[in-house]
Amino acid sequence: MAAYVSMGEAHRRITEYLTRFSDAVSYQDGQSLSRLLSVSSNSPALLSLADALNTYQDANRIIRQSEKYSQYTDILVPIFRALQSYRLRNLVEAYVAFEKVSNAFIQEFRNWESAWALEALYVIAYEVRILAERADIELASIGKTPEKLKGAGSFLMKVFGVLAGKGAKRVGALYVTCQLFKIYFKLGTVHLCRSVIRSIETAKFFDFEEFPDRDKVTYMYYTGRLEVYNENFPAADHKLSYALAHCNASKEANIRMILKYLIPVKLSIGILPRTTLLEKFNLTEYSDVVLALRRGDLRLLRHALQEHEDRFLRSGVYLVLEKLELQVYQRLVKKIYIIQKQKDPNKAHQIKLDVIVKALKWLEMDMDVDEVECIMAILIYKNLVKGYFAHKSKVAVLSKQDPFPKLNGKPVNS
Amino acid sequence: MADRNHQPQKPITNRRDKFSSDSNQSKSHNPKPSNPISNCRNDTVSAHQDFPALMGSCPFMCPVEERIRRERLRDLSVLERLHGNPAKTSPTLAVKKFCRTISTREMQASDLRPIPVLESTLNYLLNLMHSEDHPFEVVHDFIFDRTRSIRQDLSMQNAVGDRVIHMYERMVKFHIVSRHHLQRSCGTPNAVSLYHLNAEQLMKSLTTLLNLYEANRADSHSTFLQSEAEFYSHYLLLHLDSKNQGEPLSLWLRRIPSPIMKSREMRFARRILRYYRMGNYKRFIHTTENEASFLQYCIIEPYINEVRILALSCISYGGYKMQAYPLVQLSKILMMEESEVENFCTDCALETSSDGATGKGLMSTKQLVVNKFSSGPHKYYPMNSERVHRLYAELPEL
Repeated sequence: MAAYVSMGEAHRRITEYLTRFSDAVSYQDGQSLSRLLSVSSNSPALLSLADALNTYQDANRIIRQSEKYSQYTDILVPIFRALQSYRLRNLVEAYVAFEKVSNAFIQEFRNWESAWALEALYVIAYEVRILAERADIELASIGKTPEKLKGAGSFLMKVFGVLAGKGAKRVGALYVTCQLFKIYFKLGTVHLCRSVIRSIETAKFFDFEEFPDRDKVTYMYYTGRLEVYNENFPAADHKLSYALAHCNASKEANIRMILKYLIPVKLSIGILPRTTLLEKFNLTEYSDVVLALRRGDLRLLRHALQEHEDRFLRSGVYLVLEKLELQVYQRLVKKIYIIQKQKDPNKAHQIKLDVIVKALKWLEMDMDVDEVECIMAILIYKNLVKGYFAHKSKVAVLSKQDPFPKLNGKPVNS
Repeated sequence: MADRNHQPQKPITNRRDKFSSDSNQSKSHNPKPSNPISNCRNDTVSAHQDFPALMGSCPFMCPVEERIRRERLRDLSVLERLHGNPAKTSPTLAVKKFCRTISTREMQASDLRPIPVLESTLNYLLNLMHSEDHPFEVVHDFIFDRTRSIRQDLSMQNAVGDRVIHMYERMVKFHIVSRHHLQRSCGTPNAVSLYHLNAEQLMKSLTTLLNLYEANRADSHSTFLQSEAEFYSHYLLLHLDSKNQGEPLSLWLRRIPSPIMKSREMRFARRILRYYRMGNYKRFIHTTENEASFLQYCIIEPYINEVRILALSCISYGGYKMQAYPLVQLSKILMMEESEVENFCTDCALETSSDGATGKGLMSTKQLVVNKFSSGPHKYYPMNSERVHRLYAELPEL
C-alpha cells in the first residue's frame, strides 16, 4: 500500500525524477531513461515516486514550472498518471495512461538522430505489452471485453513501422517483433505474425545477422513454433535448432522452452533424445513417448498421450505426437521381424498378419486382420516398410534389403 | 425514397484514428460490448465499435420499400411470386435479400428486423426445405441468400444471447444438410459452384457461432450450453484437412475448454481426425459408418471419397502383383456396392481383371495413383450401409 510521505519529501522526489528525465534526454543516456520508464518493474525508486505522486496530487504544476521539464509534458504527465494508477492497482487506467506515454515517446524518438534511445524504446514496448495484459485481466474480472492487448498489438505494429528503415534504429525491429509475437500468441491471432515475418525476412532493410543474439534466439523460437503448428518439420527443426544452438547455456528455462517444441519435431523425423536430456530439463512428459517409439509399444504411446493430454494440447504438440503412431507400428513390425530372424533367418521376411494381430492383442490393442492389412498397406505406401502384402495368404513379405528404411531426418511421407 | 441499396459506398473504416479505444459509451441500444460479433462481419462493411448499434423495427420478413422496389424491377425469386406472377409478391412471401454493399451509415432501423421477426423469418425459410414444388437447388439458393441476410441483420444489431445462438445453430445445420444434398447432385457446374459457396458460408456461420458461445460463456461465467460440444465437433470435422484452411488445428485445439474436449462428440471427431491423418482408411470409413450422426456424416461425406482413393492407392501399390485384390473385399472395406467398386477403380485409372475362382480383382501397380479429382464434390458413391440409409430417413429438425 502507499506509504506516508510528507509534502516536502514528495516534492523533492518528483523534482528529482523530472531532473533525471531531462538530463537523460540531454545527455542521450538511454540506460537511465529506460529505468525511468519501467512502470511494472516495481523498482524502489519508482515505487517511492508513485507514493510521492499520490501524496502531492498536483505534480503537473511542477512540470509546468520549468521549461526543462515542460518540453516533455506529453510524456511526463501521462507517465505520472501511469505510475500513480499502477501503484493503486488501477491497471486499466495505468495502461491507458501508458499508451499516451508511448505515443508521445515515439514522436520524440523519431526526431532523435542516433539510436541512443533504443534501450528506452525496448522498455516502452515491453511495458506496453505487460500493462495491457494486466489491464485485460482486470477488464475480464469486471465482466468487460478485454481489448487492451489487441490495442497494444496495433501500437507495436506502428512502432515496427517507425523502425523499419535505413539507419541504426532498425536494429531494434527484431525486439519489437518478438513482443508482437508474444502478443499474437497470447491472443491466438497468430496469423498476424505473417506480415511481420515477411518484413523481417524479405531483407530490404534488414540483415538478420546484425540483430542482437538474444533477439535472434527469441525470433527463431517463435517462428519455429509456428512451423510446428503448420507441421513443416524441416523448417521447424532448422529454426528451433538455431535457437537452441545460440541460446545462452545458462538460461535453462529458455532451453527447456525450446526443447519442449524441438523434441516432438525431432521425434517426427526419427531422432530420439536421450533420457538424460529429458531429465536434465524436466521434460519427462516425453519419456513414455520416446520409450514407446523404442519398443514399438502402441499401448504406451496412447497411454502417454492420454496422461499428458491437457499439457500437450495446450502447447499445441498433441497432433504431432499422435502422428508418431505410424513409426511405432513400424518399430513393432521390425521387432517381430528380428525375433523371426533369430528363429529362422530364411523365413524371417515373411510375416503372417495373424502374428501381428497377436502381438497387438498382447499389447491390449484389439485389431482384426483387415485392419492390420490396412496398417501394413499404409506403412508400405509411406515407405516405412519395403515389401508387399498378399491378401489371399494373409502375409506381409518384406524386402530382403533394408525392409525398414530409416527416416534420416525427413518426416514420414504425407 | 432514394434507393440506397446498390450504390457502393466508401466503406467506413479507420475510424480508430478519430476515436480512442475506450471512447463512445453511447451504445444505449446495445446492452453488451460489441466485440464478439464485430469480428464476424458477414460482408458488412460497418465498423461496429464506432457506431451505436441500431435496434431493428421492421415488422415484416421484408422491408416494405424493398418489397415494392423488387416488384417494380421484377427482382423476385420464384418462391416469392404470388400465384407465379413475376411482378407481384406479398408480405407473407417476400423475404429481405442479402445486400453486399451496405454500410451502417445508410442503414435505418426500419430496414432491420428485430430478433422475434428474424426468428419467424427463419422458421418460414427452413420450412421451405420440406417443399417439393421446386428443385432442391432453387430452394437451397433462396434459403442460402435469405439466411445470409438474417445474419447480416443480426450482425448490424450486435445481437447476442441465447436466441441468437439458437438461430445460428439452425442456420449452420441448414448449410450442413445442404452440403449433403449438393454433394449428391454435383453433376452440373451450377451445383459445384453452389457447393463451394455453401461451404464458405458454412464456415463463416459456424465460426460466428463458436464466437457467440465464447461470449456467452464469458458473460454467464462459464456455463456451457448443451449444444456446444456438437458444433465444436462439426468445426473439427470440417477441418480434417487443416493445411488449406487458415488457422492450424493445433492452435485451435489449444483454446478449447476441457469439458468440450472430453465430450462424446469431440472424442468422436478427434478419432476421425486421427484416422484421417494416419491414413487408416479402414477405421475412418467404418467408424464413420458406425457412429456418425446424420449431421456429422454430412460433413465427413466429401472426405470419404478421398479416403477411398487413398485406400485404392495403398492397396494397389502394396498388393502382391501376382494376385488381383478381390473386389468383394474392397467393397467390404470401402463400404461400396461391388458393382460400383469396379467403376470406381476405372475412374481412378486402375485396372481390374477377372481372376477366375475369386471373381474380379484390382490389379496392383507400383505406380502411385494420381488423384485425378479436384477438391470438392466428385462423382458420388453412396455408403453401402443400412445404418446410413436409416440416417437419411431421419432428417434432423432444422
